[in-house]
Amino acid sequence: MTRGAAIGLRDLTIAYDRHPAVHHLTGDFAPGSLTAIVGPNGAGKSTLLKAITGALRPAAGTVELNGLSRSDLAYLPQQAEIDRAFPITVADTVVMGAWTRIGVGLGVDRATAVRAGQALSAVGLDGFGRRPVGSLSAGQFQRVLFARMLLQDARVVLLDEPFTAIDARTTRDLLDLVVRWHRQEGRTVIAVLHDFDQVRAHFPHALLLARAPIAWGDTDRVLTPKNLLSARALAESWDENAPLCDRARGTAA
Amino acid sequence: MIAGLYQATVAPFVDYGFMRRALVACLALSIGSGPIGVLLMLRRMSLVGDALSHAVLPGAAVGFLIAGLSLWAMGLGGLVAGLAVALLSGLVSRATSLREDATFAGSYLASLALGVLIVSTHGSNIDLLHVLFGTILAIDDNALDLMGAITSVSAVALAAIYRPLILECFDPGFLRAVGGRGSLYHLVFLVLVVLNLVAGFEALGTLMAVGLMMLPALASRFWAPTVPGMMAAAAAFAFASGLIGLIASYRFGLPSGPAIVLTASAFYAASLVLGRNGGFLRRWWPRPHLAA
Amino acid sequence: MRTLAALILTFLWAVPASAKPVDAVASFTVLADMVRQVGGDRVLVSSLVGPNGDPHVFEPSPDDARRLKQADLVFVSGLGLEGWMDRLIEASGYRGTIVVASEGIRTRAMEEDGKRIIDPHAWNSAANGVVYVGNIVKALSAADPEGAAQYAANGRRYAEELRQLDGYARQMVATVPPDRRKVLTSHDAFGYFGDAYGVKFLAPVGFSTESEASAGTVAKLIDQIKAEHVTAYFFENSNDPKLIRQIARATKAEPGGELYVEALSKPDGPAPSYAAMFRRNVDLMVAAMKRN
Repeated sequence: MTRGAAIGLRDLTIAYDRHPAVHHLTGDFAPGSLTAIVGPNGAGKSTLLKAITGALRPAAGTVELNGLSRSDLAYLPQQAEIDRAFPITVADTVVMGAWTRIGVGLGVDRATAVRAGQALSAVGLDGFGRRPVGSLSAGQFQRVLFARMLLQDARVVLLDEPFTAIDARTTRDLLDLVVRWHRQEGRTVIAVLHDFDQVRAHFPHALLLARAPIAWGDTDRVLTPKNLLSARALAESWDENAPLCDRARGTAA
Repeated sequence: MIAGLYQATVAPFVDYGFMRRALVACLALSIGSGPIGVLLMLRRMSLVGDALSHAVLPGAAVGFLIAGLSLWAMGLGGLVAGLAVALLSGLVSRATSLREDATFAGSYLASLALGVLIVSTHGSNIDLLHVLFGTILAIDDNALDLMGAITSVSAVALAAIYRPLILECFDPGFLRAVGGRGSLYHLVFLVLVVLNLVAGFEALGTLMAVGLMMLPALASRFWAPTVPGMMAAAAAFAFASGLIGLIASYRFGLPSGPAIVLTASAFYAASLVLGRNGGFLRRWWPRPHLAA
Repeated sequence: MRTLAALILTFLWAVPASAKPVDAVASFTVLADMVRQVGGDRVLVSSLVGPNGDPHVFEPSPDDARRLKQADLVFVSGLGLEGWMDRLIEASGYRGTIVVASEGIRTRAMEEDGKRIIDPHAWNSAANGVVYVGNIVKALSAADPEGAAQYAANGRRYAEELRQLDGYARQMVATVPPDRRKVLTSHDAFGYFGDAYGVKFLAPVGFSTESEASAGTVAKLIDQIKAEHVTAYFFENSNDPKLIRQIARATKAEPGGELYVEALSKPDGPAPSYAAMFRRNVDLMVAAMKRN
């Protein structure tokens, strides 16, 4: 039984200061799929995730969430605006993940506390509950954020470069977790990644993005040398003298 | 010796009603304002208290124009002005790229100037705020009841919105992503801040109200590693400052407000140096490390 | 040409006959009233500090500076009351005479914040009021010699009225048994009154509006009042009544009415003139003392 749901993109264009960061993107993330979004720097990958969560408004086109609500999406951003010096413990951070269910107010019920403990074990942070987050390494902190996501128990999981600046051991462990999430629970997982080996090894679907989509589908058909070459040809800087984009697909600026 | 100690510390409160009331006021202030001060400090809004003490002027001035030197009217006016300034700055900081410290500065300065304008064109040369703002020795039962009510409401409200408030400080992006109405909780928090401060101004004057809200919170940072711990420490420091300050004011004839706030400052300075959680001594002379 | 000269001469001769009134500015309402009583319709008096105002602290507006510059004569009470006057005079560019109405009074000293200073509230004794009148007559006569006779006449009449008030005060106080001649009030400005008429005044703070009370002082005052059996207290219309209420509550005293000491009330109020103010103060205080 799949617990995921489709997310559809219809001719989606997202712009910063009128320059497109994602340009005329159309496609679907099937329910329960495990998709990697790859592409060069400035290709619009993070922008796309932010548009899916609703943090950015499209300049044109739509994101169809097909019955999903905000609480059905779990999003792990690239550089969280998290104040690491804040006096909060690991356990309290993880518990935040369940907040849509436990709501406001003090105190945590037993069931949630137990689940938080289980989540910490799942990410390999047994016994870290009472540590302040400021005393953790980058890898340990990322595990804490993953544990929080576990508590969110969302149908769609969006990860923006979750393994950047993390040690190899943590990366392996968390990658296993992601794969397990997907296989056992049938969630839809979309992850922005840089390591092609990781993608080829674990992700059956891929979207190669260089502002406009280069290829979207099965990973081995997407990550071909020809496609990768086209992607690399993407001009990273904005064209200051670009004309207005005409509505036809493929005509880029 | 015991008798002497009793005479010095307990007797003044037994003998004089005004001392008892002052002590109860300190207790209410500690419980109500201590936790709020901790949150203000964590949100980098520590100077808000002082700004608000100026922002209430146009409200008090309008109250004075309508009803003369009625503390009721001026207090209510001051509350409205304070709420307007706080809520406006909260909304502007959410809707634009300006941060809260900037929007607060903008709002309170405009408010203060408006207040001075109203007073200058219509008022007599009475210092309205001097009349409106009280002193702890003069607190009467009505003011005490009001403070008690506000403290209770604050404590309950804070407990109710505790989690989203913490989340908003710590990881606002997450709160936004899960659809939590961060702005709403922030605005409720601002309302609590204004309520506590304005009531504090009227009952105790600005120095005490702001001083006992912020200084104990700052001190608590150096003793407790978690927010609930800091709130408890802040309340304890605040009450202790009140108690010791009142006794000092009694024994040595020092003005009460400054005596209390200086005691709180002393606690803060001591915490800076001796605090377990990042104080100077611990930084320069750390304890020997453990085996594992 | 000759008709022109004749016209000009006529005008020059005609002008003195419709003399414009002397433009006098007094520092506060009590003094302004006294000048008005002496000056009659020959003098146009305005007061810098308005009714119900506090003459110790004054924030002048540009309008005040302008009025001052255009004035013919400026009256101050002196003895350090109007600490703000020197700066205002300098700012306004007024170069005329400054009349110190309290010239020649036998001054008394008082304690303020541990310092001994000269008590400036000289007008609260009607006998001193007579000295004020004398100085006012002299000054007006010097500035406007044409009206000297009128001023002298007004002055004599007014001084007689004040002497009668002085007698009235003594008479009324005499009806109070000697050990009951005590009054509790928030303002320590009745020093001259107390000396002249044999009344003891008890107050919680010095007569400056700025100093803050200490718990020790308040406690001592409560003890003293209880020991002296004072049962009525008086608000100061330009001061903070909260502290007074607190002390009165501890000593079971009741409000005795509103005394006007450093300012007159508005013209339709209970103390529209110096004479009325004085008589009213005497009546209220004597009634209160009788209740002791």
